[in-house]
This record gives sequence, C-alpha cells and structure tokens, in this order.
Amino acid sequence: MAILQTHNLSKHFGGVHALDRLSIQLKPGQITGIIGPNGSGKSTLVNVLTGIYPSDSGAVILGGEQLKTIRSPEVRDYGLTRTFQEVRLFEQIPALDNILVALTERGVFRALFERHKILHQTRAREILERVGLWEKRRALARELSYGQRKLLEIGRALAMDPKIILFDEPYAGLFPEMMKQVNGILRELRTQGLAIALIEHNMDLIRELADHVIVLDGGELLAEGPPAEVLARREVIEAYLGE
Amino acid sequence: MEIFTQLALNSLIAGATYSLVALGFNLVFGTTRFLNMGHGAVASVGGYMVLALARNGHLPFTVSVFLAVLAAGLLGWLIDRLVYAPLRTRRASSSVLVITSLGVLIVLQSLLAIIFTSQFWTLAAPSVWFATVFSIGSGNITGLQLTLILASVLIFSGGWLVLRFSDFGKQVRAVGDDEEVARIIGVPSERVIGGTVFWGSAVAGLAGVLVGLDTGVYPTMGLLLLLSAATASIIGGLGSVTGALLGAYLLGFVENFGIWFIPSGWKTAISFGVLVIFLLFRPHGILNKEK
Ligand SMILES: Nc1ncnc2c1ncn2[C@@H]1O[C@H](COP(=O)(O)OP(=O)(O)OP(=O)(O)O)[C@@H](O)[C@H]1O
Ligand SMILES: [Mg+2]
Repeated sequence: MAILQTHNLSKHFGGVHALDRLSIQLKPGQITGIIGPNGSGKSTLVNVLTGIYPSDSGAVILGGEQLKTIRSPEVRDYGLTRTFQEVRLFEQIPALDNILVALTERGVFRALFERHKILHQTRAREILERVGLWEKRRALARELSYGQRKLLEIGRALAMDPKIILFDEPYAGLFPEMMKQVNGILRELRTQGLAIALIEHNMDLIRELADHVIVLDGGELLAEGPPAEVLARREVIEAYLGE
Repeated sequence: MEIFTQLALNSLIAGATYSLVALGFNLVFGTTRFLNMGHGAVASVGGYMVLALARNGHLPFTVSVFLAVLAAGLLGWLIDRLVYAPLRTRRASSSVLVITSLGVLIVLQSLLAIIFTSQFWTLAAPSVWFATVFSIGSGNITGLQLTLILASVLIFSGGWLVLRFSDFGKQVRAVGDDEEVARIIGVPSERVIGGTVFWGSAVAGLAGVLVGLDTGVYPTMGLLLLLSAATASIIGGLGSVTGALLGAYLLGFVENFGIWFIPSGWKTAISFGVLVIFLLFRPHGILNKEK
C-alpha cells in the first residue's frame, strides 16, 4: 500500500538527534501532514529522503526496494521530488527555463543537440499557468516576489511528473490568494493519486487537507493518525505548547 | 600617433590570448565555484603537445594541433574526474579545491620540465600565411596573430550561442546556481561539469598552441597564462562568459597602453594594479550584480 516507507531512520548532527529511529509511511492518493515543534526534524526528514544528507542508520523502502540511503542523483528516478523551506530556484535563468530544465531528463549530448519539443513547451506553459506565472515566464527567478518564487518552485516539482512530492512549508508567508492556489494544487495532486507529504505549522490547514497526520518531537514519532484525533491528544498539544 | 595603431593591435592580440584561457577558467568557476589554478598548465600542455607531435613525432601540423587541443580537453576532464570530483563529493570547501588546483599546476609544470627540460622551445609554424606580416595603417600584425584574434571571436560567439540557446546552456546555469538542487531534479550535474571542463580545457589548449607558435613554450608559461586569465575573469565578472571576454580585452588594452606611459618592465605590475583596483572598488567585476 505505502509507496514510501522509512524504517528506524536516524540522523544526528553532532549531539543533536534530528531523526531518531523514525518509521513512517506515505500512501498514494493521500496527503500526509507532518507537524511538530521547531527543530523536531521535519525538514531533516525531507533532506535525508532527497539525498541532501546521508542517513546514519535505518532504511528507506521506495518502489519496493529497500535502500540504506538515497543519493541525490537518484531521487528523480524514484519518482520523488520536493520543495524547500527556504525556496531554492535557479536564480539566473527565466521562470520558463526553471520549468523546462526539470521537465526532461537528458544527458549532456542530447541537451546540446536537441531542443525542447512543442510537447515540452506546451507542458511548461500548462504548469506556469497552473501556478499563475505564465505572464512572468521571461522574468529571471531572482526578480520574482517571495510568493511567486514559492509557486515557481512548486511548478518545478510538478514539471518532474513525480509520484511523491514532499512539501516543506509551502504556505509559509503566502498571502491568502496564493494560499488558495496552493490549496487547489495539493487537492488536485491527491485526486491524481500522488503521495504527498505536507509539512505545516498551521493546524487549520492540516485539519482541512491532511488525510493522515504524523507528529514529530525531537526526531521521534510522537503520534500519528487521523488529524481530528491526533490534534486533540494531550501529548501533541503539550509538545507544541512546550516549545 | 603612429605607435597608437600598433599598441591597439598588440592589445587585441593580448586580449585574444587571455580570453581563450579565461573562457575555461570562468566556465569552471561558473559551475563549480572554485578558482581552478591548474587551468593555466592545461593550456601549456596544448603547446607542448604540438611540440611533441609535430616537431618530434613528425605528424602533420594540422593533425598535431587537433590532437593537442583534444589532449588538453581530455587532460582537464581527467583531472576533474580524478581530483576535483571526489573532493566535491566529500563537500570540500572551495579553498581546499583552490589549494589542490595549485598543486595540480605545480605537478604539471614539473612534469613538463622533466619531459621537455626547462628550455624555451619555439614551435615552427609550417604555413607561410602564419608568418606573413600584414600592415594595418601604421601597425603590423602576423597571420598567426590574426588567427588568434579570429579564434577568440569565433569561439566566444559559438560559446555564447550554446549557453544562451541550447538546453545544455540551461543545465550549465542551473548547475552554477544550485548544483545540489540541479541533481535532485535530474540534471546530470557531474556530466555537465565534466562537459564544461572539457570544453574550457580544449580551448585553453588551443590558446597554448597559438601562444607557443607566437612566442614559444616553457614549463612555467602556465602560471603566467593563469594569472592573466584569472585577472581578466575577476575584472569582467567571475562565472560569466561575456565577463571573461570583456575582462580579457580590457586587460589587454590597459597593459599595452600602460607601457605608453610607464616602462614596459612594469607590464605585469600594471595588470595586478588593475586587479587590485577592481578588488577594492568593484570586486564582483564589470558584469556581475552585487550579491
Ligand atoms: N545541517 C545541519 N547541521 C547541524 N544541525 C542541523 C542541520 N540541519 C538541521 N539541524 C538540527 O537538527 C534539528 C532538526 O532540524 P530541522 O530543520 O529538521 O527541524 P524542523 O522540524 O524542520 O524545524 P522548523 O519547523 O523550524 O523548520 C535541529 O536541532 C537543527 O538545529
Ligand atoms: Mg523545517
């Protein structure tokens, strides 16, 4: 059932246990909310799953394979992608190119001699329209506003046509209008059967969107289950109040 | 005024030489963010290969040049694979890479000295055209020097077109902006870096050949080529191909017109003076925006 699973996954930075024997799973067609106080290991989980950091121990089960660690060049091959808590775009190229470069996977020689086909151009346009940035396609990424940058990063994730997307606080700092846009995209992706992880501090959003919630505290799994039930648990409320 | 034309021509010749070496230096900086000191030695290997193949190996001149350019490209690529790529995998800081590349420069220079002795060798240009002197106004320029300028113009136009319009160009800039993210989204970043290193090293090798034909080769020529290329790149804007071009020609002009006023022994001092002025007042170069 699960498309991605972690098994006793651990990662420490010096004395800090950012992930402590964490076992979770993501299912297709579901939005899994990941919550927890600041520093509880949410971003670290995404970073380890996308090969930014190697794990110390434990395993990741992805597409039926059990992996000790995931290396970043292989992330795409597993149909996996992500967004970053602090947006990371290709700043010196236009918005459209930020999408195009993620649209096709190609080697150096093909990239040198073969241009994107109409098919790709059309798909890039669809994506930019979906995130409301078609008008801005010629603007360099660094010239976009904060919210536009967040949306462009989401667009780049869509361009990879993934099966799993890990969103690290996609709503943070957005105006209501753009939040609605992100909302629509997440629902649509769920309908299409993608497995989605949503890291979010806003509990109203979690209640509204998540099918399943995972609570982290000090890198450990504190609780999990349906949002209404989990968010009412005493230890969860205390973990948040205690920060 | 008579000397003016000659100085302008000399400036163009110097600028063309610097630009060919600066191209690779800046391409490597653009994708990997480190100042590759070994690059100058790779350029000199181009010149020495022609010496070995054409002069000692009696291969036809054009074949030797072709092989020399290819060899320089492969050497640059090989050093990157064997030395810098493993360091990048271990997340070595850019200062570690710079020091390592300084080691590469010294090793290559020593190898050249061991194989070819530290003697100064001139490469024979077989074509009459290379030696033909053309007069432009009151200035003189040889066919070889014209070739050098032409090569610079063609290679930079081609490079600009590739970076601007091909999908490879997009990959290069994506890797330069954020190599880690590029990898995650499926850009084969190590191959992209390998490709730019090969390209830049091959062009540097060609510069080595042309300099060798114009003035000759000696083991430490790489250091001088490197210093000019690094200065040109910093002046023009690190990581930008247009910046390398602008910086190289600017440096060529300043050096050559500088000796109109100052004794020519000060030529190198002039270029470092310019470098210091830029580092103090516009450290990001002519083209780059301040971060
Ligand atoms: N690269 C790193 N080097 C050292 N420590 C790190 C690093 N990345 C994360 N940490 C530490 O690991 C712990 C978990 O951090 P992480 O960023 O995963 O938390 P988070 O749950 O995403 O918090 P937030 O809600 O603030 O984004 C923190 O104590 C943090 O300081
Ligand atoms: Mg975080």
